[in-house]
Amino acid sequence: MWELLARSLEASTIFLFAGLGELIDQRSGVLNVGLEGVMLFGGTAAFITAQTTGSYPLGFAAGLAVGALLGVAHGFFSISLRGDQVVSGMGLWILSFGLTTFLGSRYTGPLGLPRIPAVAGLSPFFPLGVLLIAAGWVLLFRTSLGLAVRSAGENPAAAEASGVNVAAIRYLCVTVGGALAGLSGATYTLSYNPVWTYNFLMGWGFVSLALVFFSMWNPWILLAGATLFGLMWQLSLSPELVLPGVLSRYIWRTVPFAITIPILVVISTSWFRTRWGLARPEALGRPYVKG
Amino acid sequence: MRLGRFELLLEPRAQLSAISAVLTAVLAIVLALALSSVLFMSAEGGVVSGYRVLFSYAFFNLSGLLATLQRAVYLLFCTYAFLVPLRAGLWNIGLPGQVFAGALAAFAVPLLLSPGRPPALPPALVIGIMVVAAAVAGAVLGGFSGILRARLQVNEILVTMMLNSIFFWLVSYMIKEGGPLMGATAEGESFSLPPALYAPLLGGLPFTALLALGAAVCLDLLFAKTALGYRIRALGENPAAARYGGILPVALSLTVFVLGGAFAGVAGYHYFAALPGLYKIPGNYGFYGDLAFYGIISALIARGSSLAAVPIAVLFAGLSLGARFAQGALHLPFGVDYALLGLLMMTFVGSQVVYNFRLSWRRLPAGAAAAVAPRIPEA
Repeated sequence: MWELLARSLEASTIFLFAGLGELIDQRSGVLNVGLEGVMLFGGTAAFITAQTTGSYPLGFAAGLAVGALLGVAHGFFSISLRGDQVVSGMGLWILSFGLTTFLGSRYTGPLGLPRIPAVAGLSPFFPLGVLLIAAGWVLLFRTSLGLAVRSAGENPAAAEASGVNVAAIRYLCVTVGGALAGLSGATYTLSYNPVWTYNFLMGWGFVSLALVFFSMWNPWILLAGATLFGLMWQLSLSPELVLPGVLSRYIWRTVPFAITIPILVVISTSWFRTRWGLARPEALGRPYVKG
Repeated sequence: MRLGRFELLLEPRAQLSAISAVLTAVLAIVLALALSSVLFMSAEGGVVSGYRVLFSYAFFNLSGLLATLQRAVYLLFCTYAFLVPLRAGLWNIGLPGQVFAGALAAFAVPLLLSPGRPPALPPALVIGIMVVAAAVAGAVLGGFSGILRARLQVNEILVTMMLNSIFFWLVSYMIKEGGPLMGATAEGESFSLPPALYAPLLGGLPFTALLALGAAVCLDLLFAKTALGYRIRALGENPAAARYGGILPVALSLTVFVLGGAFAGVAGYHYFAALPGLYKIPGNYGFYGDLAFYGIISALIARGSSLAAVPIAVLFAGLSLGARFAQGALHLPFGVDYALLGLLMMTFVGSQVVYNFRLSWRRLPAGAAAAVAPRIPEA
């Protein structure tokens, strides 16, 4: 049972890194629906680098760097060129999906390095994820930089008038968000499931994106949601540990996705929004044009 | 950006002329093909050889051309599935899920009508029911996303992606390990259709090709000449103004998603139940789902015109098919067709800049070029 829980927490770490990156993006007013693409690229870059050099640190560094670069690319289109953020995000996802399939195909198979050691059976990335969540919360809600980020996402014109450089803040956020998504992909391919296969994520990124909406843009609720989804995801992969012989394994694989939909529905209802004060950034997805 | 006495500006563009739009689309495709040369660098005989193999197989070879056209029909249906909601400003990226739903529904028909025996009903009628069942299944799935979007503002991208994953695994359940649609050989495929239920062919193409071409004309007419089309366009271009004008977003969002889903469902029938050499849901069905994403790019590049999407779909079908053939013939790494898909999307996103902005030069007034930053007074 502990093994299942530990594995679940490791799965939730992947949601956590990606979700936190997207949360920071969205808090500044930039929506990146191409999150899965950034994770795919980050994971592939990390896998190839680690396998080629035999070094985990270099692998993670590659994942972070590629993620940050893709974040900047998304930022350039959506901030500097004031393009449609959904078009840019979708472009990022399809580009990543296509290119990683080609670039990674010759590396298909296991990583072939000794596994990253667990601490008391637990992946070292989960505590790191919790630390990042705490740091993210402090940064967003207890610092002047966080105030600038939130104001850029709520009312960029007012933020600009009060001396905040909205473009610079948003670039900072998409870069950090991209790096965290890259780290998430790297954690997947180097630690959680160190085997490369094409389109290895198959929905993790989109579930992470849904988790950000679920979190009401609060890092602590994101942590709770990611933990819950990690457990659900792991159960869908190993249902025999809890409910042996009940339903086909293929039906179990649909469970995390099937549960995401009603959650999205519930958090979208006016009852929920008025009761819990859904803090959707007011300027989310809207390009800012200086008046 | 300043360059000496001049300043380079990006100015918002009100509208791009039709000719410029076409040229921009062509340029985006050509640029993607140019960038794709990197993919063929490791090919035996180099880049030129790679392109020669790709194009000669896809467009200058009878069996290749036929396969290209068969795939183009599939891509066209997928294009419509994305294009119709897009005209209302909505993103239906649930094409793979809707394709799978259509395929499952189509194969369920002969199973339910006459399990294990040739159908008692006339084959033409059964084929008709299969097409309708596929369309209805796709429409229901699309409608589900549409109603959630319209009534509750649930993000349609997330919902459709979730449904893609759900239906991917649902197909596995149906065709593998004793699933209801599993084939007799138990090789992780569905049962094969009996020859009586093979779709009628017209010059090597199933009748669905006519449906696809007819739909291209009908959709452009719908958007250009009908009140419904006007309402859809109005909702897509300015939702607030559309609501003010009495247009009901809930009903329209549902309508476009139902229509889009129906097209994707028929695409599922076409590829799995109507193409010679297949007539079953194969083990690698996920690949056909991935192919549906070409429909997204095709619709985006066609700027919402279904007729303009026809040559684009043929081109993309040929490129994806030729790339896969070249991959095998020239011993290239797996995924050339996927990479091409990604590059096409990237150049399309880049081309959006041309649609939205124009570059202009402005001469700076004398003295402005050498302007000194204002000094901050000391406290």
